[in-house]
Amino acid sequence: MIPARSKWTRIGLLIVLLSVFAGISRAQADEIAEGVMIPGLDRSEVGPEIKGLVLLEELNCVACHSSEAPFAERSKQAPRLSGVGSRVHPDYLKAFLADPHGTKPGTTMPDLMQGMSEAEKNQTTNDLVHFLLSLKPAQFSLQAPDSVAAAAGEKLFHSRGCVACHSPRDEEGEELLRDSSSPLGDLERKYSVKSLTEFLKNPLQVRPSGRMPHMNLPGREVEQIAHYLLRETQVPGSLNYTLYRGRVWEGLESDSVAAERAGLVDDFSLESLGRLAHQTAVVYHGWIDLPESGEYAFHLKMNGGFLRIDGQDVIVEEPSNRRGPKDFRGAVEMEKGLREISLTYFHTGREPAFAFEMEDPSGKRAPIASSLLQASRELVAPFKQLALDDESAARGREHFGRLGCANCHDDVGVAPMKWSGFAELSADKGCLDPTGSETPRFALSDAQRSWIKDVLPQVETTLLEDHEKIGRAMVSLNCIGCHDRSGVGGIDPKREAWFTTTKPELGNQGRIPPPLSHVGAKLTPQWMGDVLLRGQRQRHYLDASMPQYGEANVGDLIDLLAKVDRLEDVVLPEVSDILESKNAGYEMIGAEGFSCIACHDYNGQEAGGAGALDIVHLTDRIQKNWFHLYMRNPQRFHSTVIMPNYWPGGQSVRPEVLDGDPARQIEALWNYLEDGPRAKKPRGLSRQSNEIRVSNVAEIVRGRGTAGFRGIGVGYPERVNLAFDSEEMALRLLWKGDFASVNHGSFRAIGSEKIAFPPGIPFSRLESMDDDWPYKGKTDYLFPQDQGYQFRGYLLDERRRPTFRYRYGEVAVEDFFEDRIDEAGRGWFRRVLTFEVAEPQEEFYFRAAAGSEVKRVAEGRYAVGGIELRIPAAFDAVLRDGEPAELLLPITLPAGQTKLILEYRW
Amino acid sequence: MVTFRNCILLSVLSFAPFLPAEDLGEAWGTAQAEAEYYPIVTIPIPPGVPMRPGSFEILPDGRLAVGTRRGDIYFIEGAFENPPAPKYHLFASGQDEIFGLSWKDGAMTATQFGEVTRIRDLDGDEVADEYETLTNNWGYAEGHEFAFGSKHDPEGNIWVALGLSGSYHSNNLFRGWAVKVTPEGKMIPICSGLRSPGGVGPNAEGAMFCIESQGPWNGSCSLKHLKPGGFLGHPASYNWYPFVPGMDAPSVEPNTPSRLQVEKKRVKELVPPVIRFPYIKMGRSISGFRLNQTGGKFGPFEDQIFLGDYTLSIILRATTEKVNGVWQGACYPFREGLATGIMNVEFSPKGQLIAGGFTTNRQWPVRGEEPFAIQRIDWSGKTPFEIREINIQEDGFLFHFTLPVDPGVAARPEVFEITTYTHNYAAGYGSPEVDHTSPTVVKAVPSPDGMSVRITLDSMVEGHIHDFGLPAMRSAEGKPLLHKKAYYTVNEIPQP
Repeated sequence: MIPARSKWTRIGLLIVLLSVFAGISRAQADEIAEGVMIPGLDRSEVGPEIKGLVLLEELNCVACHSSEAPFAERSKQAPRLSGVGSRVHPDYLKAFLADPHGTKPGTTMPDLMQGMSEAEKNQTTNDLVHFLLSLKPAQFSLQAPDSVAAAAGEKLFHSRGCVACHSPRDEEGEELLRDSSSPLGDLERKYSVKSLTEFLKNPLQVRPSGRMPHMNLPGREVEQIAHYLLRETQVPGSLNYTLYRGRVWEGLESDSVAAERAGLVDDFSLESLGRLAHQTAVVYHGWIDLPESGEYAFHLKMNGGFLRIDGQDVIVEEPSNRRGPKDFRGAVEMEKGLREISLTYFHTGREPAFAFEMEDPSGKRAPIASSLLQASRELVAPFKQLALDDESAARGREHFGRLGCANCHDDVGVAPMKWSGFAELSADKGCLDPTGSETPRFALSDAQRSWIKDVLPQVETTLLEDHEKIGRAMVSLNCIGCHDRSGVGGIDPKREAWFTTTKPELGNQGRIPPPLSHVGAKLTPQWMGDVLLRGQRQRHYLDASMPQYGEANVGDLIDLLAKVDRLEDVVLPEVSDILESKNAGYEMIGAEGFSCIACHDYNGQEAGGAGALDIVHLTDRIQKNWFHLYMRNPQRFHSTVIMPNYWPGGQSVRPEVLDGDPARQIEALWNYLEDGPRAKKPRGLSRQSNEIRVSNVAEIVRGRGTAGFRGIGVGYPERVNLAFDSEEMALRLLWKGDFASVNHGSFRAIGSEKIAFPPGIPFSRLESMDDDWPYKGKTDYLFPQDQGYQFRGYLLDERRRPTFRYRYGEVAVEDFFEDRIDEAGRGWFRRVLTFEVAEPQEEFYFRAAAGSEVKRVAEGRYAVGGIELRIPAAFDAVLRDGEPAELLLPITLPAGQTKLILEYRW
Repeated sequence: MVTFRNCILLSVLSFAPFLPAEDLGEAWGTAQAEAEYYPIVTIPIPPGVPMRPGSFEILPDGRLAVGTRRGDIYFIEGAFENPPAPKYHLFASGQDEIFGLSWKDGAMTATQFGEVTRIRDLDGDEVADEYETLTNNWGYAEGHEFAFGSKHDPEGNIWVALGLSGSYHSNNLFRGWAVKVTPEGKMIPICSGLRSPGGVGPNAEGAMFCIESQGPWNGSCSLKHLKPGGFLGHPASYNWYPFVPGMDAPSVEPNTPSRLQVEKKRVKELVPPVIRFPYIKMGRSISGFRLNQTGGKFGPFEDQIFLGDYTLSIILRATTEKVNGVWQGACYPFREGLATGIMNVEFSPKGQLIAGGFTTNRQWPVRGEEPFAIQRIDWSGKTPFEIREINIQEDGFLFHFTLPVDPGVAARPEVFEITTYTHNYAAGYGSPEVDHTSPTVVKAVPSPDGMSVRITLDSMVEGHIHDFGLPAMRSAEGKPLLHKKAYYTVNEIPQP
């Protein structure tokens, strides 16, 4: 249970840190946060000119003050409002519009109603809300938070990278670093679990400028984070429940019991919980409203459980996994009114059953009605959707234009207002005048005003250098919140503790996102694009996720970084014998060389435990020049790197390989790795993984699974695979890509593009064309031996590809599949069947393929159930319709050897 | 249904999680004393090797070969050195679960679930290229249909014991039978009536046996004689007689519930188990076994059978003898405290006993805690004071000891405590011990050299296990026995 231990260690660490920061936060909370909160602006190493520029963009000044300058285009778009009625609670909208800076301190949203009387403000915000909710049918509703999901969400919120920008929270939910974090406001007033989940699944849809990025997390994790952020949401209900699973009879505190879900139910009937698995426990909690005083008796049928009322044990029975349910009764004298009730029920043991009834003072016995129960002591009012007032909405539309809302929120079809052009702006006036009363008012600090003031005069005429463009993007998107780039940014020391890893052996490199210094000289443009735009990652041990910011916001960085980041060019050695070079690379990577695989994963196979990043795709991702530079001195790029230097002082630690020449050795590693997954497996590579990876030679797996019980799976180097059924001596499955996973004596095809063939032997002398093709039925005990078949095994060639051997009566068959690739790089099989007989044989049929349909495509080409089968033109193939459709080749054999060559393409 | 999960060897390779923690029964408590005579040495397994050993073999060059559940065959050099300095070499891979390995004539013959395969390296690079199927002509289409194979017999045949379908039925050809596979790949059915067999092998006289698991028709785990034409007790496999030319199905089925000694008179083909192992006292899931013919390198137990137990992580010892044409014999505790569930054993050329196996995650309780291991039991050269062997006589037993007994003590009949009992022979799962009797030892006569004691009983019970305890026995040097228990299964009583 090592993973569990390390998890708890991490949580323990977190708790220590939380308590340290809790002290600081109380002190900080007394100060009132000043200014708009943009995390990147908090960094001292970022210059004021970039800060001023970023502010102009973040505040979207050009939405009102038009400009043709480049920064206008880059300015942050305001949230899209057309669906806001389904996303945000109407009460929150109202409060936020009336007082944005009080409702969400640090927001970039300006106050547009300063100077209005309370009554006017009230009327205006009301109209605006009616207008916003009229844009689309508003489907906002509240859901009860699931405390189990919230507990998982708490860990995720703090480990997935959310806290790089937002404030981490203590156990009470108190924000620990509010003053330096991008504000979230009072989320429980704003969102529902459903709407927040929806938002978090793709924030770019609502906030297209990517400041809140797509976190690239599984849907379940997003939901859990939403449950955490909204864990205080109150909705009306009858009864709280929490469901546990595992060895519940050991007690709910047992290590082998885990909480599964929680929420509200109507009453104590198990049906309301959905399907209940065996070995479950349910903890109910709520209040019961007793209509009269007197003695109440409770009747329980169960294996075990605990009933407590107002803190008093009424029925206590320890569960047991070895017995059936029993009946229990407990009576208690109670005053009328609200009584706290909790019941733990263990759904375990033999034939678990549950019944719970209350006998009131008059002797009436019945299950407790939902109407008597409430989930919280105080009743919670249900959410009521605003009844739309068309006139109010129409007025709201006018306000929306008149106040300038439409200038930023330009997705709702309201014309923007026109203000003076950007060139005419003065730093002391209008929205920048700290004492002014004109709207809009931004919550700017003095420092922020001065940064703007300094850049304002020249911002339209200054063209940014490429490195400044990169710097601007990294500040406004807060890349520097996680990554260091040449001394700028990196994780704020106050947030460090929340960056964790699944591979503590890797040290800080295992938990801290990689530095981006020279990254343009390091990564190939393809891989940079994969990471920035296509959600790829390879450092799976980092708990933090690499977010997606959207092509519009970061697409240009790929070229910019490639242009700006320059390192000296290495003189690459001449390689006269590429095979010698690759082989030297093979020797060095394996266990008897540098043993790279002792730390690095290789082709999905886990290394000796360190789990450093998989190097099999290295040459697709890393530039060769950088590889040479890095290998010669890893410390140059990472001062605390664990990676050793194999050429200290320019001397190789393996002087016997390639004359000990560092450049040739590094080149050899590169040349070997360039073959990617098709390279020969390094010596000493772990075989523990259940997934079998194919390298430069074929891999075989046998046993039950993909092709019956006597299946033989073969993965070929050209990334095509097949499963052969040695019971019927027939091809059962073709597929491409990843090969197979094994579990003891079973295997399962993974990969894709699977083509399955129906059961049946390969050869038969059909008596009539109406006969079904023979296959082994459940009780055909002697089949197919009774048809003359006998499997005889297989022989491997130098690439470990099998030739299957079997007999069909007097015919000895050798059956060889060769993996080939076409011009487009797609794999296919060439199959050579060699028949050997002593005497000429009477004609029989070979069922070359069968599937949903068979048709002739061209001379010698047939489409059968998803494959194109090519056969020698000489054959007079027989096409049989039916279930399945079949392509039969009549075979007559003269004495001696006969070959038949087929091609399977799909 | 608690007993349902008992002695079945491996019939449980897939199993529901959340089984309650099971009490595995009391250990013998002799591990510490045993270590003086038979220390356990662990052979390290490198982290990258997926090693779930299922079978062992010794190569002509003295290396250890291991066949695994994953279907690999490793050759290990240096496993028998002190301390072990193993180097693992992967000879063959990608097979089904391998529970039988035998090397002959430059080829490794592996018994895997679906077939018997002769595996060769043709190009001399020490990696197999040819996988020749000798036979795959038994049915294999359901879970739990295990196949355990023997070494080559003197004629070059491999004997294979085939477990029932799902451990209970015989839905596919020859499930519940033992078959013999000739070097030419011909499969010859031998006998019916197996349930969930384990290891297969000969005794010193060359008769073939296999291990059977407790369950329906099997009151306890047992060693069974693979007698050609015999019926070994579980009638589910009667249905395959029509597929065996020249062998007729028994004319009657056994009655249930009954007793073996009753039914063997009704069903003339019924071969009673050679040795029954009292449940928990002597194993719960006995697996592979091997005959000790190390020429004395393993101590005083030459020509005896050593058996591994999966659940209890122990090694047992057994002796056989033929009485009235029927095999029977005794079993004795030998060594406990191994690290994992023992699946198979083998003797090294140096006379060390190799024992290895694995545990299954949450599927099956095992006393040893390692997920997998290969261990070695070495003989320290010191001779423990043990009951070496018990032979039956017409009116009692002859006890052989490894060291001379104290003649004064050994001549006291009460030193030999004895009870007898048998098991139900019935379609239900397993059996308690039933029909207890308490014979009296009327006479105990030590031999002049003190190496044996002849005891005479007032009664002997055919069909019963004779359960001996000798706590008071002392050697000539005054030492107590290392193991005080022994169990003799009386199928037949010799005629005077």
